[in-house]
Amino acid sequence: MDRKQCCVKLSVQPSRGLMDEKFIILVQNVFPGFQLTLHALYKCDDGHSWEAFAHHAASAIGTVNVSEDPSLGGTYSGVEPMGLLWSLRPVPGSKPWLRMRKMNVRTPMVVTISVYPGHQTEGFLDQVSLAGVVVERWYMAPGVRRIPITEAGLTATLFLPPGPGPFPGLLDLWGGGAKLVEYRSALLASRGFASLALDYLTPKVTIETGKMVDNQYFERAYKVLEQHPQILSSRIAIIGLSLGTCITFKMAVYSQVAKLRCIVCINGSHVQPIDGSVEQILSFFNKNAEKNRFNNENQVICRDLLLPIPTDPSLKVDVGQLQCPLLLVVGEDDQNWPAHESAMDIKEMMERAGNSHLLTLLSYPDAGHLIEPPFTPFAKASSFRDVSSRQMLVVLWGGETAGHSRAQEDAWRKMLVFLRANLYGGANTDATSFSNL
Amino acid sequence: MVSAHVSMIKIRQLIKMTKPCIGVHRNLACLHRAVGGVRWKSSFRQAPVLTAAPVRALIDEQICIKGSFLPPECPVTVCAQMHSDDGDLWEAFAHYNTNADGTVNLTKDHSVGGSYLGCEPMGLFWGLQPAPGAREGLRLRKKNVETPYVMLLSLLEGHVSPSKRQSTELAAVITERWYMAPGVRRTEIRQDGVVGTLFLPPGPGPFPAMLDLWGMGGGLVEYRSALLASRGYASLSLAYIGHKDLPGSPTRINVGDSYFESAFHLLQAHCQVCADRIGIIGLSFGVYLTLRIATKAVVKPACLICVNGPVGSTVKFSDPDGRTEHFESDQKYWTYNDQGHVSFKDVSLPENLSPESKVKIEHLTCPLMYIVGEDDLSASSMETANLIEETLTAAGKSQLFTCLSYPGAGHLIEPPYTPNSRASLWSVKPQKLFTLWGGHPAPHAAAQEDAWKKILDFMERNLRQ
Repeated sequence: MDRKQCCVKLSVQPSRGLMDEKFIILVQNVFPGFQLTLHALYKCDDGHSWEAFAHHAASAIGTVNVSEDPSLGGTYSGVEPMGLLWSLRPVPGSKPWLRMRKMNVRTPMVVTISVYPGHQTEGFLDQVSLAGVVVERWYMAPGVRRIPITEAGLTATLFLPPGPGPFPGLLDLWGGGAKLVEYRSALLASRGFASLALDYLTPKVTIETGKMVDNQYFERAYKVLEQHPQILSSRIAIIGLSLGTCITFKMAVYSQVAKLRCIVCINGSHVQPIDGSVEQILSFFNKNAEKNRFNNENQVICRDLLLPIPTDPSLKVDVGQLQCPLLLVVGEDDQNWPAHESAMDIKEMMERAGNSHLLTLLSYPDAGHLIEPPFTPFAKASSFRDVSSRQMLVVLWGGETAGHSRAQEDAWRKMLVFLRANLYGGANTDATSFSNL
Repeated sequence: MVSAHVSMIKIRQLIKMTKPCIGVHRNLACLHRAVGGVRWKSSFRQAPVLTAAPVRALIDEQICIKGSFLPPECPVTVCAQMHSDDGDLWEAFAHYNTNADGTVNLTKDHSVGGSYLGCEPMGLFWGLQPAPGAREGLRLRKKNVETPYVMLLSLLEGHVSPSKRQSTELAAVITERWYMAPGVRRTEIRQDGVVGTLFLPPGPGPFPAMLDLWGMGGGLVEYRSALLASRGYASLSLAYIGHKDLPGSPTRINVGDSYFESAFHLLQAHCQVCADRIGIIGLSFGVYLTLRIATKAVVKPACLICVNGPVGSTVKFSDPDGRTEHFESDQKYWTYNDQGHVSFKDVSLPENLSPESKVKIEHLTCPLMYIVGEDDLSASSMETANLIEETLTAAGKSQLFTCLSYPGAGHLIEPPYTPNSRASLWSVKPQKLFTLWGGHPAPHAAAQEDAWKKILDFMERNLRQ
């Protein structure tokens, strides 16, 4: 038996973590200066395999600490504690244009981290590693309760933190990808917020009747939160991404029913027919479909659909009337929505109206459209089924791997601080006493 | 939607679910509705928060527990509850006063009452005791190592005793504590007559390995091996008495030296084990077996760890292979306290051991770590440690010997952050008999924590470098 092989020690701490937690990867007992490759392998629920790798050289005491030592090359470089997760990409030979989204939040993402000798770039699965460990990454903390909601004609899932509560509540709205996307809500519940993930494009009622939901659908969802005995009715917020921001802005400014404590809008816009329902908003976009461009790789760039930002007040939610704090998150390289231009217009409208003190803007130069919870693989473009046309396209989201991943980490942390300050805040709050992140 | 009180019977029923993980989570969900009076409020009120990090941990990992958004300088109780694999409820609690910033941090703040006092970050775990009304003589031992201990941690208003159920639950969090890290593989071994369970770390190996031996309580005890595999060592838990797959009467040891040698060879032959990096760890009677294997020198372990056990057996061996007579003939050395609890301590007093059974310590060729609980009421550990040290010194081999001795610690020095039982049920026939293990809560917990670290370091030095 090779004595050296017996000695190499690889550890990842924690071995079972939440999706937004950092881990520490440590290699020990190798020769000083030893060249090695750290490799991550993930097989997602759909059966696709993803990998990432980083080249390191052991220190003078024969160790590599991924949180402190730079990657000399691989799928990322530099000191990046979580690089092996966010730089994961489909293994060679995979179906193209994949995007990793965990739809089953009750099981963890299981990643195998291994050490290989030398600086390698391929053929990892054809060899035996020096050492390997398995890491679980969870969206749901123990005790988080997952409750399917079908009342009031809704298709939704409520996630409640463990404990008696009462908890602040969140309405969680995704974009045109449709379906019931639970992972952000599951993670928010693991961080102390009751969160309702809502399917508003492909809910049961739309599948069965062919009709899209009206604006009351969202107000009914709000009411589920407001009336829940374990949720504080005065501490409800909405978080929207992409198309979800249209709903968020509309409800925050115009809804008589929703009394929102704050809102979070990520890479979306206030531009929409303000009296319109979801169907009308989508028609409005589709009217401008000729503005869609294609790049050299035949990926569609949709950001021009809403440009130029209109001056007609019936085509923009009047954010000057907003009465609650707004956290606006912008990926400046968003190729799918004109997030930056919309943000500039929102800022100007709020400054003119005198409520810009409610606005917090986070703007990230190298980030694209899909600013999601951190430490998951970055996708610059992916296959997307357009919900109206039912067409399968390859959509360019934008962003650059490292910059986008850092933006996700920073935006998530700041979003949690914003939500805690607004939803947990009180007379003697120290929002930063939440130091687990 | 909410039932304020759930009876213990209902909790037991909930436990008998086929999916253990979901089952324990469900019964705990019912439990925290039953604790105290749960207050539902939709009005404007800032909710306190209890956090634990990591929320899924290995048994030997520290968990950092904090309460926030509490009123400043106020009395609170932190309470822990969990069900054992048998369905018994165990609990612990501690009284704290919140800081000026409305927080309480168990890694820094001091308990002023409850299951432990002072600054004890893991006190809620090692301070667990059977809940009032529980069966007598319980000992917490995990039978199914593939599921975690699911613990409900709650924050209650005031300085209260949780079983009184009068207080308001302010916040709660649930943690999982695992003996098995992700990727650890568990394999049942019934091969070459060997009855055991092998735990392999994740990865290709090959790995250094341990043979894991327990005491006369018998059966197949897996949790220490599972944890060793989680720390990178292949580990084989071995049964030698009281297991249905072993030959003969369950109250006798019907296997001999060749059985233990087969187990060792099984590990050596395993393609994922480094054949020259195998150690042995033994507790209680397992110490005798460990020393016997090492000194007979048919197999060559690389190091030995012995916890609170004898160098010989009181019973004459009936055949050269080491099969023993009925264990009950040790009874002449049993002593009883006022409550009729038995102490086996004198059974292992060196002068009471049969000379032929005593291992020849002077034949030792590998490093030995011997761990003593100074309040051990089940074995004469101090006397044994002294004897081993004298024998090795006389043989010019004192450099092989390391001794750890812990005041206030009892017989059952096990992986850390688990409760000690000072006494527990030993047998039910001909009548209920409880045995004394010894050990006081805080010093025993400190011993377990320190010993485990030193055990892992000792293994690292002798098996990996």
